[in-house]
Amino acid sequence: MPVAANSKVIWGSNMFSYPIQLIMGQLLIGVINGAFYAVLSLGLAVIFGLLRVINFAHGAQYMLGAVTAWLLLRYLGIGYWPALVLAPAIVGLLAFVIERLLLRRIYNLDHLYGLLLTFGLALIIEGSMRHWLGAAGKPYAPPALLTGVWNFGIVIVPIYRAFIVSAALVVCLAVWLLIEKTKIGSYLRAATENASLVETFGVNVPILLSATYVLGAMLAAFAGVLAAPIYQVSPLMGSHLIIIVFAVVVAGGMGSIMGAVVTGFALGILEGLTKVFYPQASTVVIFLVMALVLLFRPAGLFGRDVAASTAAPALATAGKLSRKALVPIAVIAALFLLAAPFFIYPTFATRLLCFALFACAFNLLIGYVGLLSFGHAAFFGGSAYITAHALKIWGFPPEVAILAGVVLASAIGFIFGILAIRRQGIYFAMITLALGQMVYFCFLQAPFAGGEDGIQAVPRGMLFGMIDLYHPFALYYSVLAIVGLALAATWRILNSPFGSILGAVRDNELRAVSLGYHVHRYKLGAFVISAALAGLAGSLKVITVQIASLTDVTWQMSGEVVLMTLLGGMGTFFGPAVGAAVITVIEHYLAGFTVPAPVVTGGLFVICVLVFRRGIVGEIIMLLRIRGGSKTQAKDAATSPVHV
Amino acid sequence: MSSQSEAPVLRATKLVREFYGFRAVNNLDIEIMEGHIHALIGPNGAGKTTVFNLLTKTIPPTSGNIFLRGRDITRMPAADVARQGLVRSFQISAIFPSLTVLENVVVALQRPAGLATQLWRSRRALNPLYGRAEELIDSVGLSAWATRQAGELPYGRKRALEIATTLALSPDVLLLDEPMAGMGREDIDDMVELIRKVAKGKTVVMVEHNLGVVSRLCDRVTVLARGETLAEGTYADVSADPRVREAYMGNGHA
Ligand SMILES: Nc1ncnc2c1ncn2[C@@H]1O[C@H](COP(=O)(O)OP(=O)(O)O)[C@@H](O)[C@H]1O
Ligand SMILES: [Mg+2]
Repeated sequence: MPVAANSKVIWGSNMFSYPIQLIMGQLLIGVINGAFYAVLSLGLAVIFGLLRVINFAHGAQYMLGAVTAWLLLRYLGIGYWPALVLAPAIVGLLAFVIERLLLRRIYNLDHLYGLLLTFGLALIIEGSMRHWLGAAGKPYAPPALLTGVWNFGIVIVPIYRAFIVSAALVVCLAVWLLIEKTKIGSYLRAATENASLVETFGVNVPILLSATYVLGAMLAAFAGVLAAPIYQVSPLMGSHLIIIVFAVVVAGGMGSIMGAVVTGFALGILEGLTKVFYPQASTVVIFLVMALVLLFRPAGLFGRDVAASTAAPALATAGKLSRKALVPIAVIAALFLLAAPFFIYPTFATRLLCFALFACAFNLLIGYVGLLSFGHAAFFGGSAYITAHALKIWGFPPEVAILAGVVLASAIGFIFGILAIRRQGIYFAMITLALGQMVYFCFLQAPFAGGEDGIQAVPRGMLFGMIDLYHPFALYYSVLAIVGLALAATWRILNSPFGSILGAVRDNELRAVSLGYHVHRYKLGAFVISAALAGLAGSLKVITVQIASLTDVTWQMSGEVVLMTLLGGMGTFFGPAVGAAVITVIEHYLAGFTVPAPVVTGGLFVICVLVFRRGIVGEIIMLLRIRGGSKTQAKDAATSPVHV
Repeated sequence: MSSQSEAPVLRATKLVREFYGFRAVNNLDIEIMEGHIHALIGPNGAGKTTVFNLLTKTIPPTSGNIFLRGRDITRMPAADVARQGLVRSFQISAIFPSLTVLENVVVALQRPAGLATQLWRSRRALNPLYGRAEELIDSVGLSAWATRQAGELPYGRKRALEIATTLALSPDVLLLDEPMAGMGREDIDDMVELIRKVAKGKTVVMVEHNLGVVSRLCDRVTVLARGETLAEGTYADVSADPRVREAYMGNGHA
């Protein structure tokens, strides 16, 4: 996908291009993209193999490789060849620091925290680079030695591109040899299976961990330097790529080095060919392949069995709070919400409500089923688009438009669920992320969605034909009523017979199966409910701000809701709403500030993961419980739902 | 010893399970007769737990077939196997740690009572199940712990709780994986009595290292080594078998 802009260069010299030339040209692009997919998924697989961390910062490290090469040339006059070694070394050093200072602290926690931490790091790195260098791409010339082309008649191959492919192959082979044929590699493989075992053999595992992370990051940076001359060097060059690479990794399976490389090349080529035969699908074809693989071979093409695990997800939550402590809090909260529009700008307060509902919808999964979805923007944004279209073009009344959005969100949720529900933990997160990105591309291209502009000036209409939503107070109280009803319904579901089975499934899935429960159906049910509620939040948001745009469906939006929930307190009923309010307010005030928003968001992620895993409400509950002298001390690993 | 009947209630043929090329269960044929208490013994790593995982479809076999009352269940999902009345306990106590002891048992009772999928009813709908749950908890001696969080129970109590949840389904075939592991002497005696009591009219397969318990309790014994049947018969038969003695001596068991 990233070479698309340059594709003309390859075959454009002959505008009467014969189909065969077109095919060969796209094939070449496919091979080159495949080379990048291969090197990047190789790095991800190596890191995951040992550290059990999905390195979301991989795309940022790839970008840093390219940017460092560019900076070296620009400020120190250091050219391509030294940069090919220097830039990975510099990024490797940074990776070393990251591993020592940050990653090391979370190895003993649920693997999802690794994803969240590196997600935060990616935001910080990309945000600050963007702030510093601007979003515009910068040209970087290929080395003189490798300029020019080879003309094979049916295809003209720029020498530099041939070099990329060979360099990628050499690197992949070298890593494969390192892991399969050397002593260090055998330790690495052994440590992957059993860290304590290796330690008894006297290998210093902490050093092995650092070295592995550094190696993975250096691979990414190396790919970045390779990419610098053919793509524009830009702070954002890694952020879309990383999600495609996730899809590649899920399709290929995480188990094997060879699998990562072969799948990388194969999917790159497939993507190139799709561009010839059905260009509209070229952005999503890799995600479609991933979806198909998940249906028929859930472990991935080269993956091993989907490991059944008895371990409960050990995300940090506090314990239950007594009803006595609950009532005064609920009364204060209710009074505050009723009075809010009198001292907060009503439209802003309404937006807070929408995000609060969104975060609660997300929390239904992470907090009560133990599933981290990184694709919730698809439901939120998808519903927002449909509601906007229904209101503006079809002229539906708001209640019908909202319903349309919720139905669509539930349908998308059902499809996501069918595909993702058989995988757990980290895989579930990656799959939902990739599926969410596919939905993003669909809305990017769908004519009705208005591309970059989105759907603007959406009319609000009359709710039930009698409430004029243009009146800010009417809007606020209508949304408050709807959100209140939705949360009450959620509460009821969580405290129903169905909810109690959900809790059991989260606690110990294998045991629930052995008691005769079809756990996938319960999870799917919860997923669809969560998607529907997220969709409702998206619809309400459109009515409030009167715009549906691509921002609503991006992975950044999915990340945002994760942060809101994390900050407010995963698994606490009202925590996510509090988190949503805090984040929305912070972003509101940050708008006129010099620190770029992604850096702040990323920083909050890192802080929450490292030192604040219970979140605001979770910590408050802990305080109240300790003061209340509760006997049962909640631990990090305890996963009891908190009914606040 | 007990009401013998000739039909095998559970049968596996040529059962194989490989882990990354390693055969943990190798061409195993096994028959469990209706009404028996059948012991599965063997040194550590022999593949006993893996056999349980296969029979209950917790993991799929690499090859081979499994029949429950003559019906081929090789491709049946694990949850459906449980619904057919074949229910297991786990070697490492499988409980729901954040639920209370009572709630653990109630979860098991919910499905048979048809109270598992209601979204809109309050949790109070489950109240009628608590009476039965209390009985079950009482039968394993956990009454004093009824409202404690299951995750806080000591090891032996977790095992007892798991047995209670398993019994809650009133399965007709029970697979118990080392039900007495980590229990003190008195608790073991209680557990033997309990198993004897619940085994009436049921079939029990149990993995057990305590050969005293096996000799007291079991009608039939299968000895497993390296994933294969080493010997099978009554306790007297197998304990006289020199190969069994050797396999056990070689692994430091008496
Ligand atoms: N999930 C697994 N992955 C890899 N090897 C396994 C797995 N489960 C069991 N094994 C191996 O299979 C063999 C039998 O294990 P198990 O059935 O637990 O033995 P037992 O219960 O008789 O002690 C052991 O060598 C064990 O290492
Ligand atoms: Mg065992």
